[in-house]
Amino acid sequence: MNGNQFPADGQGKNQMWKTSDKVTHHTLEKKLNRWGWIFVSLSAVLISVFVFIPMVGALIMSFQTGKGVNAHFGGLTNYIRLFTDQTVGKALGNTFIYLIIQVPIMIVLALIISVLLNDDKLKGRTFFRIAIFLPCITSLVSYSLIMKNIFSNDGIFNQMLAHIGLSPILWTTDPFWAKVLIIISITWRWTGYNMVFYLSGMQGIEPSIYEAAEIDGANAVKKFTHMTIPLLKPIILFTTITSTIGTLQLFDEVQNITQGGPANGTVTISQYIYNLCFKYTPNFGYACAVAFIVVILIVILSMIQMKVGGKDNQ
Amino acid sequence: MKGKRIAAVLLSAAMLVSMAACSGGTANTSSAAANSQAAPSSADNTAKKLTIWAWDDTFNVKAANEAKEIYAKSNPDVTVNVVSMAQNDIVAKMNTAFESGNMDGMPNIVLIEDYRIQNYLKSYPGVLSDLSDITKTDKFMDYKLKIMTENNKVYGVPFDSGVACVFYRSDLIKQAGYKDSDMQSLTWDKFIEIGKAVKAKTGKAMINVDPNDLGIIRMMIQSAGKWYVDADGKADIANNAALKEALAIYKKMQTEGITVTSSGWDAGVAAVNDSKAATAVMGCWYASSIKKAADQSGKWAVAPFPKMSNVSGSVNSSNCGGASWYVIDKVPGKDTAKDFLSKTFASNTDLLDSLCKDISLVSTYKDTASGKNVNTPDAFFNNQPIYKDWNDWTKNIPAVNYGTSTYDIESKMTEAVQSIVKGSSIDDTLKNTQTEVEGILSAAG
Repeated sequence: MNGNQFPADGQGKNQMWKTSDKVTHHTLEKKLNRWGWIFVSLSAVLISVFVFIPMVGALIMSFQTGKGVNAHFGGLTNYIRLFTDQTVGKALGNTFIYLIIQVPIMIVLALIISVLLNDDKLKGRTFFRIAIFLPCITSLVSYSLIMKNIFSNDGIFNQMLAHIGLSPILWTTDPFWAKVLIIISITWRWTGYNMVFYLSGMQGIEPSIYEAAEIDGANAVKKFTHMTIPLLKPIILFTTITSTIGTLQLFDEVQNITQGGPANGTVTISQYIYNLCFKYTPNFGYACAVAFIVVILIVILSMIQMKVGGKDNQ
Repeated sequence: MKGKRIAAVLLSAAMLVSMAACSGGTANTSSAAANSQAAPSSADNTAKKLTIWAWDDTFNVKAANEAKEIYAKSNPDVTVNVVSMAQNDIVAKMNTAFESGNMDGMPNIVLIEDYRIQNYLKSYPGVLSDLSDITKTDKFMDYKLKIMTENNKVYGVPFDSGVACVFYRSDLIKQAGYKDSDMQSLTWDKFIEIGKAVKAKTGKAMINVDPNDLGIIRMMIQSAGKWYVDADGKADIANNAALKEALAIYKKMQTEGITVTSSGWDAGVAAVNDSKAATAVMGCWYASSIKKAADQSGKWAVAPFPKMSNVSGSVNSSNCGGASWYVIDKVPGKDTAKDFLSKTFASNTDLLDSLCKDISLVSTYKDTASGKNVNTPDAFFNNQPIYKDWNDWTKNIPAVNYGTSTYDIESKMTEAVQSIVKGSSIDDTLKNTQTEVEGILSAAG
């Protein structure tokens, strides 16, 4: 696509040698080139000033220890401290638990729901689609507060349990249930978002192939596993990667529902970085070092997912 | 395949941007950090407009507004703007402004919690004004002055006392077979004993605990003159006998089943207001939360903080929270700001006495003890002269060095406390925590 818009590429060069009006073409190319660079330079400057330079600054800062005026170059001190800091381990562990448990649950749920809601014969299909997508347009903070309210130790959920004679679950004060609560919350919030991607992907699948499969005797499960999923593969890959990144950056829900507690039982990496800068005594150098761990993690995870998900296509 | 490539480009762009959003703020601050030591700005140290930041509309914001009215009488030409902002937001704004040295948008006067002030004084010297000439050291309580003194200079004007006490439901204690006199000069052993009786006779818990907030452990160790750090600011965890005993008591309360657990501040207040706990062991400022349950008027009483019988030096007095006023040096108008504080919170006993009535303030200004309102009994607390009691107990609060990193350490301590409550050995857990806390403190170096 890009090649067509800018004839400065290989295509243009081949023409150049063959045609006689070499000079005029050359100036046109130059002119286009010049404008191209002007357009590119604007965003290049902006992205350098606002993204790349701060990134380098953060990298330099991650080698500084001490707070405030006591800050000085400390070599790898911050990175060494990472390995002895158990809260980093806890935060990484929590983040991966959310990732490994929540992302697959959400993707599978979204797939199933989108298949169900793609059925033409289903009555009130628009209503259900809206209902399931609606959580995505609520504010992260307000839905978190509502979840916190529902699942608090004497909240609606536990009162319901009490009515049917079960003992209450300590959602916010038990480290295990607190993690379950976070997973329930983010699944509720993001399933509809992923569902919309799958639904739109399914609009692009030719109905005739399903008809053909039916004639061949494929049942609904076969159609789902052998046709829908392979055909949606690029979209599934995309949603998996965005969900992974989203989970690695999880902050709002944990901050508002459990504040990372009980005893850092639900804290995430982004929240720990925030705490290091703004909740505790500020230590920006160490916070930057933790942030670079997240950069490395996201790069590695995305590479793995691209490799695994994209193998067949290449 | 092309679609995938585009997706890959988009994704990597998204990753870069999101990472930069995190690193951007911090990187900017690094370049400007050098400025924070620059010489104080222009000679113009007076201003016609003052800004004050505080965080509680029913408490310190109201106090600042009353001070503003008093100041307006003598200085009608100065406009004072009191801004109410969540404490977390104030802390986040101060952290970024002090680190960057850019004071644009910062207030002249700011309220800072006592647990945090040491860090600002040590990490950013020169950012807060020296208030030695307006805060008279013989007029304020010692324990409060100690935390805001650095190199023999006093940097703040003390505001509220966080004197710790036991708020208790007199009616429930009586149902359990104990009298008000049993609640005086308590030890924690006696507290647990009464708690068991309360649980057995009334079915209610004795006390509410929040696994994220170790206020009660902080109060216990301060009652013995100890803290998470020693007088030199070094980590004092593994060999801290008071801390070990406090943890043992904390664990015992849970294993004896006299606690109710809730997460977060509001849930804790709700537990008390809904009669789920017979006591609340808190700083005196908690009175306003207890008074929210108007139907419980007359049922509450206040007793001194329990001491730890097994720890030498533990007294029936401690502290929880509390804050003080500070002037930011590089915000234009520091002389006016100092004048404001010296005419209000640093000297005005009438103001402090009326604040006692209006916001239940327990001041750390010694002369307020003789005020009219301070000696008035409180109907909600069964006509007990609570302000006078608090004033008396404040005098015995042991002074400790809060150090620079109370909240970092507390976060590590919550992890330790949880594993101790679940059955780990106190000694081993604290040894581990000691190493982690040393890491925090050496990074602060």
